[in-house]
Amino acid sequence: MKKLAVPLFATLAAIGLAASVYVVFFVAPLEYSFNEAGKFNGSSLFLNQKIMYFHVGHAFWLILAVVVSGAGSLMFLRTRDPKWDDLASSSTDVAVVFGAVVLVTGSIWAKAAWDVWWQWEPRLTLSLLLWLVLVGYVLVRRFAGASGDRIASGMAIFGMISLPFLYKMVGQDSHPAAGGNGVVATLPPGERGPFWLTVASFLCWYIALVISRVQSTRAEREVRELRERGLDLGVLQ
Amino acid sequence: MMKMIALWVVLVASAGAAFAQTGSGSAAPSGAAAGSGGAPAAGSGGAPAAGSGGAPAAGEPQVPPTSPLAAPILSTADARKLCATAMNADPKFAAEISRIADERAAQQRDRDTVAAHTDADYHVKKNERHVIYAYAAMWIISALFVMFLWRRQQVLKLEIANLRRDLEAAANDSSAAKERA
Repeated sequence: MKKLAVPLFATLAAIGLAASVYVVFFVAPLEYSFNEAGKFNGSSLFLNQKIMYFHVGHAFWLILAVVVSGAGSLMFLRTRDPKWDDLASSSTDVAVVFGAVVLVTGSIWAKAAWDVWWQWEPRLTLSLLLWLVLVGYVLVRRFAGASGDRIASGMAIFGMISLPFLYKMVGQDSHPAAGGNGVVATLPPGERGPFWLTVASFLCWYIALVISRVQSTRAEREVRELRERGLDLGVLQ
Repeated sequence: MMKMIALWVVLVASAGAAFAQTGSGSAAPSGAAAGSGGAPAAGSGGAPAAGSGGAPAAGEPQVPPTSPLAAPILSTADARKLCATAMNADPKFAAEISRIADERAAQQRDRDTVAAHTDADYHVKKNERHVIYAYAAMWIISALFVMFLWRRQQVLKLEIANLRRDLEAAANDSSAAKERA
């Protein structure tokens, strides 16, 4: 069953993402509106609103990945059970990837919608800082030596704590709001189906990547243990 | 020679007279008119255009003059009043005015619709590039990560297999050495 998990979720994600691309571009309506004078509203996004489906889809599971990473790190520091460390480290790797996608697609979308690549607003800046913390986690794990796992765990918890601030700042600047009055809650009926299909597909994608990365992390641990045995036996130098 | 000059004078004079009669005599050389012995210059000196100079007959609609030079300066209100009077006086004229107004309004609506579609088309096309960039970036980042994972797992599998083989070989060697001993 464990061996089937990655192919199963990867297949579900592939089917879901293929269907998502179809419904996003060929079924979901274009986003535009008219003002009182019957002219196109200046806030109409037209085709570039299609970026929202994948940008927000990644952002949803970026938050989940950071929470899993923080919670796993907390459990690891408490129990010292390496399985929690494996989970936290794998989830952080995926969070780095999802964060990169969120930042890059968000920046391109900002250029299309606001004609700027980046604005040093609180929310965007905190998003970048969170991503840098995640990158820092990966670097610490890679280069900090024996105590790297514990230092990295502290960083993951710090990243998780910053999430409520990030959520609170959504809508405080030029970025669209989240929550009850946010973009997702006020999606028109024609856009809801494609959006949730995309979100579900990315959840499958996230699960497939995390499980695959956990397997890889366990394989790395096995290599370390075999090397230590080899050194003890004098087979390796 | 004299005959030729006389023929030339007659030709020029007749040409001048022809110009004067068609109302474009202002462009005719004045010397020709003078040389023709008093060809009529009437109609070439800025007289009002045909149909606009005379007073309208009783019962006929008052049509505003077409030449801006000759038109009396009317305020918008006066012009509207004049037009309304003319439309009331002649139902055919009123119908014609209404038809032209409706036609122009429809044309304006068509122009607005085309402009709106052109505007939408421009916006859609303008954003196409950014959507392609965003989707390309997303797939490239994801593909790079998957490639990294796949390569890493292949390397680890190979490394684990090699280490196990070496350790087993070492274990076999040590057990053989023990047996020999």
